[in-house]
Amino acid sequence: MLSILINRDHIANASSLPPMKHITRDIEPVDAHDLLERVPRACLSFASDDGPCAQSIAFVWRDGRYLVDIPETANRQPAIDQEVVLLIDEGVYFFDLRAIYIRGHAKPSDTPDAAPAGRRWFEVIPLKTVAWDYGTLREVKDES
Amino acid sequence: MKVDDPTALDVLWRCMVARIATLSSNGRPSINPLYFIYQNGHIWLGTADWTLAARNVKADPRVSVLFEIERDHTDHRILRISGRASVNTDREVWRLNERLTARKYILTPSGLRNYLIHFRLLQPMHYYHAQSAEKGRPCVIDLIPERAEFLNADR
Repeated sequence: MLSILINRDHIANASSLPPMKHITRDIEPVDAHDLLERVPRACLSFASDDGPCAQSIAFVWRDGRYLVDIPETANRQPAIDQEVVLLIDEGVYFFDLRAIYIRGHAKPSDTPDAAPAGRRWFEVIPLKTVAWDYGTLREVKDES
Repeated sequence: MKVDDPTALDVLWRCMVARIATLSSNGRPSINPLYFIYQNGHIWLGTADWTLAARNVKADPRVSVLFEIERDHTDHRILRISGRASVNTDREVWRLNERLTARKYILTPSGLRNYLIHFRLLQPMHYYHAQSAEKGRPCVIDLIPERAEFLNADR
């Protein structure tokens, strides 16, 4: 039983397996919208002079807009129009891991309703959105 | 703060999923959730050498990683560790990482329960890993921490 779970020798010898199927974890972003509402974990990444910056954020999904608040005390902030990646994810164990990953640009935004005033909010204007859910691993038509 | 500060170590020991921010060769950002092991002052994040995270680390070794305690909703500490990383594809290293990862994420009551509940997905999971192996080698992103700081969790 344990060897089934942890023995990944086939990684080094994939040819020993039967003909390859194409397995995907990917889901439609719309199927991860619950993450945008519940926001289990949210963070933002952007480039700074010191390299990449991973920043914990407050996040609000309002009328289809991705609104992000970085604490004013943060020592690094994205510039206007700078490329950012927004990640909202959840889960600890393999088949519970789910995420939505949004690449876009940061634009200044008004403070959302019911959010604390006097903060600096951004809207992420999405360029590309992908989502995944390891609990949906499945065979799909191989498009390669 | 150094990463061996007791408060930082407390978060590292209890965190399960790290989120690693990287930059591509042309400076484009990315951030990915990965399993990790804290090992002798290094942070090992398991992935494969074809993934965006690994390719970015090869292009720019600077990384910024967030850690939080997912399973304690009363603890809002978020630890950010910055440093330089490298991609290690040495077979002995990733096999050790596999064993330590299995001990942390699978060989626990919660980990085993997760696998048993999703038993029907074990075969697709093996195909998924094998599919990854066809694209490249498994690897460890080996992070040597240089700076640790706590961020205010603001939810």
